[in-house]
Amino acid sequence: MHRWIAALSVVFFALAPCWAHVGSPDVYFQGLAGPYHLTVTIRTPAMIPGVASVEIRSSDPGVSSIRVVPLYIVGAGAKYPPPPDALTQSKEDPQFFSGKIWLMESGSWQVRVQVNGSQGAGELAVPVPAAARNTLPMQKSLGVLLFALMTLLFFAIVSILGAARREGTLEPGQDPEPNQKRRGRWVMAGTAVIVLGILFFGNMWWNSEARAKALEMIYKAPPVNVSLEPDGKMVLRMGDSSWHSSRPETVMTKLIPDHGHLMHLFLIRVPQMDRFYHLHPDLAPGSANTFTVDLPQVPAGHYQVFADIVRESGFPDTMVADIDLPDVLGVPLTGDNSDATAPPIPNGLSESKLNAPVTEKGVVDVLPDGNRMVWERGPIPLSANHFVWLRFRLEDPQSKPATDVEPYMGMAGHAEIVRSDCSVFAHIHPDGSVAIAALELAQKNSGTPVAANGNDSATMDGRMSMPMSMDKISPEVSFPYGFPKAGEYRIFVQIKRAGRVETGVFDTLVTQ
Amino acid sequence: MTTPAAIAYSAVSRERTHIAPWYIWCGLVGASSIVFGLYWDISWHMSIGRDTFWTPAHLLIQFGGILMCLTSAYLIFSTTWGHDPAAKAASVKVWGFRGPLGAFLACWGGVVMVTSAPFDNWWHNSFGLDVEIVSPPHMVLGVGILGVGIGALLLLVSQMNRAQDQERKNLLCLYFYLCGVLLSLHLLFLSEYGNGDQMHGAQFYRALSLGVPLILVAFARGSGYRWGATVTASIYTAIQLTQLWGLPLFPATPKLGPVFTNVTHMIPLEFPVLIVIPAIIIDLLLNRFGQKNKWLLAVLLGVAYVAVMLVVHWPLGNFLISPAARNWIFGQNYFAYAVPPSEYHFQFEFIDREATFALFCRGIGIAFCIAILSSRIGLAGGDALRRLRR
Repeated sequence: MHRWIAALSVVFFALAPCWAHVGSPDVYFQGLAGPYHLTVTIRTPAMIPGVASVEIRSSDPGVSSIRVVPLYIVGAGAKYPPPPDALTQSKEDPQFFSGKIWLMESGSWQVRVQVNGSQGAGELAVPVPAAARNTLPMQKSLGVLLFALMTLLFFAIVSILGAARREGTLEPGQDPEPNQKRRGRWVMAGTAVIVLGILFFGNMWWNSEARAKALEMIYKAPPVNVSLEPDGKMVLRMGDSSWHSSRPETVMTKLIPDHGHLMHLFLIRVPQMDRFYHLHPDLAPGSANTFTVDLPQVPAGHYQVFADIVRESGFPDTMVADIDLPDVLGVPLTGDNSDATAPPIPNGLSESKLNAPVTEKGVVDVLPDGNRMVWERGPIPLSANHFVWLRFRLEDPQSKPATDVEPYMGMAGHAEIVRSDCSVFAHIHPDGSVAIAALELAQKNSGTPVAANGNDSATMDGRMSMPMSMDKISPEVSFPYGFPKAGEYRIFVQIKRAGRVETGVFDTLVTQ
Repeated sequence: MTTPAAIAYSAVSRERTHIAPWYIWCGLVGASSIVFGLYWDISWHMSIGRDTFWTPAHLLIQFGGILMCLTSAYLIFSTTWGHDPAAKAASVKVWGFRGPLGAFLACWGGVVMVTSAPFDNWWHNSFGLDVEIVSPPHMVLGVGILGVGIGALLLLVSQMNRAQDQERKNLLCLYFYLCGVLLSLHLLFLSEYGNGDQMHGAQFYRALSLGVPLILVAFARGSGYRWGATVTASIYTAIQLTQLWGLPLFPATPKLGPVFTNVTHMIPLEFPVLIVIPAIIIDLLLNRFGQKNKWLLAVLLGVAYVAVMLVVHWPLGNFLISPAARNWIFGQNYFAYAVPPSEYHFQFEFIDREATFALFCRGIGIAFCIAILSSRIGLAGGDALRRLRR
């Protein structure tokens, strides 16, 4: 019994504040703008209002100009787009364009990309969830400069007002009398006291303003209370978030399904990351914020919980918690639920300690059923904040490409990227790091066609329209992404074949 | 005691025939550039949105500050190291430098304005781009602008107090213009608290008691003119109406999203607060009781100011939130691009109202106290202005 009680002891906490993923705020996306295939990177600012940078590469030559315009995905803010801004075309690489966009409020944005070139015009909508992440401390050099200026100005105003009292009312040419000089000194002393008082209370006001601003502006994921009932049912109760509720129109709207489910729940046993579950809780009957799911067989341990949701505004959240679980006998996996077992992530990961054998093809993970998943990683070391294609291929035990790959929740594949300390978590798809539900909203409202996944085979969309197509698709899946910071990462790659979800597990080291 | 410097000054001053010295004009142009630049900048934020250091409005503000700073620096250096005995005679001494008092203050204000720039830049990076007028770095900028503005005023007043006859009359006209500009500057900083939909809350009266009676009383008493406060308030009203009626004539398109309101022209600030009416009362009281005990006079002025403000602005608030004011004359039909239609109603209903009548009375009581204190400081400031010679 005490184990169940222990299991019910839940910890709420938030890791690096970041919506839609954890600690991975930048948007990586690929899609078609008319005839042009584009890869898009949008680096959102740490503080909103702020300026985001946009980098777009066209896979196709002949693009002459790209213009971008940010606007909300839904609501009144989506009605009047401001004039688009032209991106700057690189002289060295004419297929690369870059520029800036202004994001004036937190919320669910889209960036409409308008392309012109030799093959005509095309347009693409990229969802961009934006929220303030943190405030910046003042740099020491700036602090020293401002303090020096403040000191200078303090003594200057004291002296100026002293001179005003001493000589200001004298007729031209008259010298100040001793009593006037004395009064001047008194005024200087009084001015000094008053100015110091203003500085003291001004500093108090400044600190108070800064605290209030941080509270009002910096994103916080909704808290989630996770518990386990004796029958093996996991219960997730979403709490209130003042950050969300203060944005009723632009963020805090009702939940909508994201590729078929209201919630995507990931359980990862930590710190070893050797057990992984991708589940889909349903709303409890009659509840708007309590989700439940029957756990499959789960070994005891401490589990990190990541719960992805998307709102009607298109704004995604990843709620974070952790929980100690006992051995759960559980129920068989059904529907889109899946799990994976992997060796413990090694401490002090290095290139020589990768968990899977490396062949000339790439990094190979031999799956429990004998099939193989290959990460076509290439020889270039991974570095933080650089766009990278994560390319994977599913093979049969004889190293031949699988021929029976199926869509998994409407897509060619899913990848979950977790930093070893869980400070980064991203659930991405062949379209990129955007929430698919937000993408569908943005494309529907902008009238742009559904984008292709850009996989090498280019024979099948990375994302299938619902209901799912049962056509067989390419065994190769590519994910556009950028690791947000250096460190050790574990990547869970999920591809469905012959009715079974195959999950490849890869470890990698990302340098600064 | 008459010194050789005083004799030299007297000889030079008799030779003057022009309306005002060049540095007075520089002061007027500088202060005007700053204030009109601020109007333009606020309208820019409401209509176009995107701004950089190099927007025309910012350049106008910076031009005003730089002009006054350079003018003041030249006056200080030329007086300190030059050979003009008249200039030296009419100067004060600070840290070994000599120059007109107003030049030192304007120069100080210019340095404060420059100091606010890196502070503001850090604030933007840390807390987001401009979304409000009253932020710590903007307050530093405001203090700098105040220094420049008052410095320009002191330059003018010292000259005016040394002048006589027609020269004094000419300078008095320039003085009132500058007073109106400075009053506009003060009310610009209070514009977040001075809207029609706030006129039934005590905060409006507290905010409008903070500094306005001081400025009106000081400028009126400093001028020695019977209707000084009225003229000053009238010039503010004219400036405010000019921007209200003039800015919408210029086309503008928002360049930032989200655009909630389809703006097609520059959006002005609101209809002016009618301080011209309490200003008339202030002038009447100063003319009738100007020689009485200053504290008693301050009580009289402060109480009269708040009472008249209440009598005037309570019904004005009713009018400004009514459909009758939603036209180009009263400007209640203008909304910034960032205002969603779902928030339009805030402009048509009273906000910031106290929950109970007792709380309102308490707030108004505080406004009376502020106005009395403000008036007393204004009386002292006005007397100081009249005595200023350098």
